Amino acid sequence: MKTTLRQTLQSAVPFLLLANLCTAKTVTYDFNVTWVTANPDGLADRKVVGINGQWPLPIIEVEKGDQLVVNMHNGLDKASSIHFHGMYQNTTTEMDGPAYVTQCPVPPGMDITYNFTVNQNGTYWYHCHTEACYPDGYRQALLVHDKDAYFNENVEEEFTITLSDWYHRMTESIEPEFLSLYNPTGAEPIPQSFLFNDTLGTSISVQPGKKYLLRLINVGAFVAQYFYIEDHEFTIVEVDGIYTEPKVTDLIYISAAQRYTILLETKNSTDKNYPIVTVADSTLLDLIPSDLQLNHTDWLEYNKDAAHDEAVMKVEESSELVPADDAALVPYDRQALLPEPDLEITLSVVMDNLINGFGYAFFDNISYTHPKVPTLFTVMSAAEDQVSNAEIYGEFTHPIVLEHNQVVQIVLNNADTGSHPFHLHGHAFQVIDRYPPQGEHFYELADVAEPVEFDPNNHTAFPEYPIRRDTLVIPPQGYLVIRFVADNPGVWLFHCHIDWHLMQGLALTLIEAPDQIRERVKIPQNHYDVCSAAGVAVQGNAAGNTQDYLNLQGQPRQPAWLPAGFTPRGIVALTFTILAALLGLASIVIYGLSDLTYGKEDSSLAGDSQGPLEEPGSTPRETVEAKRN
Amino acid sequence: MGTNVFAVQLFFVCFRESLEASIIISVLLSFVKQCMGQPGQDPEIYKRLRRQIWLGSGVGALICLIIGGAFIGVFYGLGHDIWAQSEDLWEGIFYLIASIIITVMGLTLLRINKAKEKWRVKIAKSLLKNQEDGVPKHRLATWSRKYAMFILPFITVLREGLEAVVFIGGVSLGLPATAFPIPIITGFAAGLLIGYFVYRGGNVMSIQIFLIASTCVLYLISAGMFSKSVWSLEMYRFSKKTGGDVAESGTGPGSYDISSTVWHINCCSGELDHGWDVFNALLGWENTATYGSVLSYNFYWIFIIVSVWLMRYQERHGSIPGTRSMWKALAKVPGFRTRAAEALNGPTESDRDIIARVQASNFHGENKTATGVSTTAH
Repeated sequence: MKTTLRQTLQSAVPFLLLANLCTAKTVTYDFNVTWVTANPDGLADRKVVGINGQWPLPIIEVEKGDQLVVNMHNGLDKASSIHFHGMYQNTTTEMDGPAYVTQCPVPPGMDITYNFTVNQNGTYWYHCHTEACYPDGYRQALLVHDKDAYFNENVEEEFTITLSDWYHRMTESIEPEFLSLYNPTGAEPIPQSFLFNDTLGTSISVQPGKKYLLRLINVGAFVAQYFYIEDHEFTIVEVDGIYTEPKVTDLIYISAAQRYTILLETKNSTDKNYPIVTVADSTLLDLIPSDLQLNHTDWLEYNKDAAHDEAVMKVEESSELVPADDAALVPYDRQALLPEPDLEITLSVVMDNLINGFGYAFFDNISYTHPKVPTLFTVMSAAEDQVSNAEIYGEFTHPIVLEHNQVVQIVLNNADTGSHPFHLHGHAFQVIDRYPPQGEHFYELADVAEPVEFDPNNHTAFPEYPIRRDTLVIPPQGYLVIRFVADNPGVWLFHCHIDWHLMQGLALTLIEAPDQIRERVKIPQNHYDVCSAAGVAVQGNAAGNTQDYLNLQGQPRQPAWLPAGFTPRGIVALTFTILAALLGLASIVIYGLSDLTYGKEDSSLAGDSQGPLEEPGSTPRETVEAKRN
Repeated sequence: MGTNVFAVQLFFVCFRESLEASIIISVLLSFVKQCMGQPGQDPEIYKRLRRQIWLGSGVGALICLIIGGAFIGVFYGLGHDIWAQSEDLWEGIFYLIASIIITVMGLTLLRINKAKEKWRVKIAKSLLKNQEDGVPKHRLATWSRKYAMFILPFITVLREGLEAVVFIGGVSLGLPATAFPIPIITGFAAGLLIGYFVYRGGNVMSIQIFLIASTCVLYLISAGMFSKSVWSLEMYRFSKKTGGDVAESGTGPGSYDISSTVWHINCCSGELDHGWDVFNALLGWENTATYGSVLSYNFYWIFIIVSVWLMRYQERHGSIPGTRSMWKALAKVPGFRTRAAEALNGPTESDRDIIARVQASNFHGENKTATGVSTTAH
């Protein structure tokens, strides 16, 4: 499956401009994925996922229109995969990367090839998409350069900045403590530090009076970050791969998986260096250990010899920072608000416990539990007349079948008191409503008793040209409303991009135009080989049943719900308890009543003066005398 | 009625302890009256003895109040913060102690009549010794004999009072200070009132029924405490493992350890919901029942049932089957020989005889006792 026109790029090599600009080329990366040791925060050595023996990982760079080929060899001791975050994968849903959705997890020692055309532009990233994988460092930027970008004339040089939370322990060892009887509230693991370009305290060397393009990507697994540069304004020109009308601001909020591209014009003086400040969103953290540094300073370095002063924080809490509202951005292409939806999906985000006592996350009442057969393979292997029946994809993958070219609206009501960055694979969706809006009121519903739900009859006017993006943050106990056209046949996951919440099942599966998928998609032999190496079935419904696709006996399920009240076991126990108490009380009563015999004896003895004094009088004296003798 | 102003356990503790103390005082009073207060006897001596009894009781109560105040002050002043951090652990320990105290002491309440008799014998014995031993061997002995009527109520009141103090301290962990005064005052008042009725001789039957009822409540509380102590210790272990997340979880999922739960209902928390907190105080109700708490509750009652029937058997037949052979075996062990012989042969003199002797000797040897007391008093 190797392409003949092949070009291996090393990570350090910047993107190459071929002489022939008009011809789309094929860009090939060979990734040998192995464990390496790294210490990006200077606090602890740890095992991280390296590519070709390196970490930080190579940035994938292509030109818009290129064919991207990634050959991955899994040299880890656990399954992995690659998801190219933000890629639409039009006609190539099988290259999307999430395990058990569009492919099988790639087992140790196995190779997989991803091969797709990049017909889009902007800032993306790639990361492992198997359970508990990418927080171990398996994530990096993916840049799609566009010679036609409207802002190109304002760019003299560009930089990529990745932000990330960082754990010192392996995700696979954190996971059993996170999904545990002893973590009933589902408190997310607290990172040990926050990285800036996979390190800390770096300087970006700039020249005065020059125009720069900065691509900001939060490649973290959990924590969102605020970003600003002291005494500098900048212009947002792209979010999640969508060019925006220029928007001048001085502070942005970047959740896990979100991207912002900004234009920055440097000052004319080289007197001082300016702190680039990143602040972790501490509202997401259940507790803040005293040794966890939430804000970091890196420098916009005008003058290598000038002082590199630490940023002076102006706020006590990160939530006091008021960033620009991303929902108020306007797409540069001015794509109008989509018409009224053909299909509306209303969902609640819920965190709850199941019978094992673990904390789970739910869309409504379903916590995503991966099927036996990856959903795409069920689409491909089912009978023609059954592919549009959501049932065959299993109850616990939360399947929703979309018809080709439907306008789909997802209303997401957040019943949880935390904010969540939701990501849709395969699409950039229009952001048409969100409450509370990003800004100073964003967290104001966090402590109210009842969440606020979207009311179709009473909401703020939808924007004329809604911004599109692929990852959007829902505020605590608020809601968001998004729209998109189901014009990209494929199997797409919609999920929270906090990796811990994905482990808890905060995901659902959109099966978009299954008939068209079968017409357009051909899963390469290599992907079938991966499945057979992984021992995962490639035919059948979610339960692996190849005979009767409607028979889901044996499908993977989420654990049972907690009983709401008394179970038979409880009733038996309570009955015996009451019986024991009653018998005990009866015994005490009987025992108590028998004391009355003493009472009678007593009254005969202790009669005040009427006691028979003479009679006994003689007997004791005899005894006394007898004793004296 | 919530536990904020009326802690039911406290009421019963105070009631029980004050009743016990008042019964002993009343026995002493009536005994002194019977032996010294007859017409023809020296009213001075009778008065002096009565004064001694009241003085002893008063001083005992006073010391007990001081110690109790200090104890509770320290408890709330210094300790409360530390204990609040691991409240479940301390609650578990104190409930266990409280439950054991009630269990051991509770049944004696049902033997008031028997106890009265015992006390009478005890007093009689000490008085007889007074007369029979002749010249005292040293000062302490003289002193204690002279003030027997002071020391007995003093010790009794002090003991019952300290018991109450330890108990209040233990039970009340986690209760607001406002929950203290009313149950304590009413408890003492009720105890003293019943004690007074016992003294007056009233209706033996209705007093006994009252005692039975209150003992039943006492044991319900105790069984609840025992179970709650197990529950609290389990909860402590669970919340320690969860890193303190449990406390903020209210009554819903996540507030309990599902793996050891027999039943759980998402309401009716014995700690958070009003109305149910009374059940919590009285019966140890928790909206989560664990294997530990259910089993301990049941085993507690089984233990009580077995104990009660063994005691009853012993009263009827003189000994519990198997104990005789145990004492026989012990009789061969040097250290236990005397004790074993005593247990095997029983008292040499019957209680009835001793009482009779005291009454007789007091009546006849009146001057001897009177002068004995008055001369040393100079």
